[in-house]
Amino acid sequence: METFAQITGDIEILGKGIMMGFGMLGPAIGIGLIGSAFMNAVGRNPEAAKYFGQVFVIISLVELMALIVFASLFII
Amino acid sequence: MYNTLSLFAAESSGPPIHITPGEIFTIGSLSITNSMFYGAITSLFLIILFTTVARTMTLRPKRGFTQLVEIGTEFIITTLQNSLGSRKKAVYYAPYFVTAFFFVMFSNWLGLLPGVGEAITIGETPALRPFTADLNGTLAAAAVMMFLVQVFAIRESGFRRHIRHYFAGSLKNPATYLLGIFELFSELTRIFSLGLRLFLNVAIGEIIIAVFTYLGSFAAPITAMPFIILELFVGALQAYIFTILLIMYLASAIQHDHAAEDLHDHEMKKLETANA
Repeated sequence: METFAQITGDIEILGKGIMMGFGMLGPAIGIGLIGSAFMNAVGRNPEAAKYFGQVFVIISLVELMALIVFASLFII
Repeated sequence: MYNTLSLFAAESSGPPIHITPGEIFTIGSLSITNSMFYGAITSLFLIILFTTVARTMTLRPKRGFTQLVEIGTEFIITTLQNSLGSRKKAVYYAPYFVTAFFFVMFSNWLGLLPGVGEAITIGETPALRPFTADLNGTLAAAAVMMFLVQVFAIRESGFRRHIRHYFAGSLKNPATYLLGIFELFSELTRIFSLGLRLFLNVAIGEIIIAVFTYLGSFAAPITAMPFIILELFVGALQAYIFTILLIMYLASAIQHDHAAEDLHDHEMKKLETANA
């Protein structure tokens, strides 16, 4: 019984670690894709640098998911 | 092995992390939390700031603090103008969005002052906490602003046409009603996403600063300084994102079909000149 309680306590930490690892994967790749798309656009057409403000808006939509994963650490 | 894992996982002497606000006093049966109190202080600061700036505003801009506030205001009005189309509309809606921008930005920034947080505590709870580091505060701000956006949209295009915006397409098609209900539901989701985004950014910044202050026990000002500067940037950026998302929601709600209207006007003008 004691080992069972200890395993349950440690599985919570394991669960948190797996959640952070897999959860941060998506938003990180997403932000990288947004950056790469912006760089491609500016490389083809330097006038596209005027859309730099919009990039942050789109990044905020993706970053919301990453923040929800980070905040779930404290809820679980 | 399990014993060492539980050693690292001990949270008994970790950094003090608060996600929920704590009550500091009660007025009657209403409990005032530390973030409500600091939100009132922030509003007072904003009122004093803007009345001072309005009084020292001159036609030819002088250098100084007034100019910074004017730069911020002009930035928001230019964004409004690009989204809504005309300068007249931008100046008409400017007070609401400029207030939202400056309130959120100063509420984020004033949370980085030295006395705010764990330094001054009443009992166990901190006495002051930023208003936007509280989910209640950001949800309230997002709900009020989305309600205002709906009021503006209804005032611009009339109630019937505004509802028609959601139920776009032929009224005989049952898919239109389904899509309309989803669109109406997504308005509520927008409130949650706006409030949650702002709260999470600010609260996680506070947590990071608390962790790094705890880790550098005697060198805390040195270890926490980079993250305080990061929070300055993140605070301003999140205020900008909050405001520009609201502007985009307003612009998408009051846009009329310019292409069809311009074509109609053009045809009418051609008919008039042909008949005259």
